[in-house]
Amino acid sequence: MDPTIKDFEAAIAELETIVRKLDEGDLALEKSLELYERGVQLSRFCHSRLEQAEKRIEIVNERGELTPAPASLRLPDGDDEP
Amino acid sequence: MSKLPFDEAPEQVKAPEVSASPKLAPVTRASEGGPGANARYAFSPTLTPGPASPGAQLPAAPVRQVFTVSELSATIRDALESRFQNVWVEGEISNARLWNTGHLYFTLKDSASQIKGVIFRGALRYLKFKPEDGLRVVARGKISVYDVKGEYQLICEHMEPQGFGPLQVAFEQLKKKLAADGLFETARKRPLPTLPRRIGLVTSIDGAALRDMVRVLRRRYPNAHLVISPTRVQGEGAAAEVARALQLVARVSQVDVIIVARGGGSLEDLWAFNEEVVARAIAASPVPVISGVGHETDVTIADFVADLRAATPSAAAELVVRRKDEFFSHIDRLGEQLDAAIGHRLRRLESRLHLLEARPGYSGFPGRLAFRGRHVSELASALRHGVGQALARRSRRHELLRRSLDQFDPRHRLGAIRTRLVARDAQLAAAARRRITASQSRFGGLAARLEGLSPLAVLGRGYSVTWDAARTRIIRDAATLGTGDEIKITLQRGAVTAAVTRVTQQE
Repeated sequence: MDPTIKDFEAAIAELETIVRKLDEGDLALEKSLELYERGVQLSRFCHSRLEQAEKRIEIVNERGELTPAPASLRLPDGDDEP
Repeated sequence: MSKLPFDEAPEQVKAPEVSASPKLAPVTRASEGGPGANARYAFSPTLTPGPASPGAQLPAAPVRQVFTVSELSATIRDALESRFQNVWVEGEISNARLWNTGHLYFTLKDSASQIKGVIFRGALRYLKFKPEDGLRVVARGKISVYDVKGEYQLICEHMEPQGFGPLQVAFEQLKKKLAADGLFETARKRPLPTLPRRIGLVTSIDGAALRDMVRVLRRRYPNAHLVISPTRVQGEGAAAEVARALQLVARVSQVDVIIVARGGGSLEDLWAFNEEVVARAIAASPVPVISGVGHETDVTIADFVADLRAATPSAAAELVVRRKDEFFSHIDRLGEQLDAAIGHRLRRLESRLHLLEARPGYSGFPGRLAFRGRHVSELASALRHGVGQALARRSRRHELLRRSLDQFDPRHRLGAIRTRLVARDAQLAAAARRRITASQSRFGGLAARLEGLSPLAVLGRGYSVTWDAARTRIIRDAATLGTGDEIKITLQRGAVTAAVTRVTQQE
């Protein structure tokens, strides 16, 4: 992932700053476009993180190891279709 | 059994009179308990009328019964301990003090009297609540005499708070204690993570609570990664297990939030969540903890300590994903604002360009202007076309990818694909915006230059512009050309096409 983005909270904070700066509007065109690019990049970062997460259910045991949850928990799948 | 002076005092007083054997009682006592000292007094006069009361002549002076202190004490103890082997007494606790032996000493009192008491460590352990000052209780136990100090006290074997159940009292006591330790303070509450990488669930592996939470999380956040830390949630030792399970899952990497949950039940069923060990474990958790214990109306100590309290397990799960939903709508809103801001900026530039074109200085060169304008818009449209193609290529690639994914993983679910598609579409749209922006950026650059340099005037002064053969690029550096290349030159009036015959490079 983009090393210049720390985490969600940082991304959203930066995005908010960018929108505010652009709204103020006294920037050079070059600078505003640069900010815009960065803004798009940040927004993409946020969306991609949602996709990245793994759909998985695990159980932690006494030794702190993870094992897959029994099928009865991972499913039933039938009830989560719209 | 010997006589019980405590119980039968009146008879005891009379006894010597009736029996007329003044020696008997003291001697008996002496033989039982006492060294010879007794005997000295046994035969002394029972009453010695003082000088002040010479006329006080009792008809038959009873023989004194004199005990040693130890004898009397022992007799009293016998009397009390046999008489009060199992009594219930109610009163208010005061002066409660826990000794380091583990025994608890206290005084039980009412408006007029008080009695000392003790609960030994063994019995104390079985009390759910802590006997403390001011608490009204009913105590069961026996009376015991402490000879050394001449005191009697209640050896308490069991105690119940009066008016409340022991659990209610224990609840209030722990609540007070933890509040005093600052565990409930708002300042300690941590915000939930926006999008937890992993969600820890501390609950029973086969409880309804777990199924409810899994269902909510999978519906609202299909990609959620859940880590279950199974534990018993009721019965002896459950509290310690819950605490341990919480510590375990908190140590799993990437667990950003933990839900501690249990379905509904009686106060006794939920008791584990009212115990100090659970409260302390929640407070010590390195990541935020949401409590979801019982039904809406149940409140536990865990709820007070948790960073966020949910009414039920399902509600706890909802809280986790609500942050996610809020976050994404916020992101989307920001994205729109971003587009609007840049769009506004570009439109302003455009209108300045139009103003510029309308200036009298340009009106004499409508053809050139048209040429320029056409060229610029051709350029922009070529770029847009390029973007369109790139997008088409991307979506073809995406389509292929999707198909191959389906083939590769037949279990891949429709829902998941749909989610991915929606997200991809958003990405594609974002990519498109980026490309368009890039083209607008170039457009803007040209526009700015047009505006600044008044290029037509420059041509009028005898300068010309040299383009590449396709007339898409202005030649600025001879090094980009080779002998024989075709070039196009724009003059103030008209244009020429030429071939390069020699290239002279400048340092």
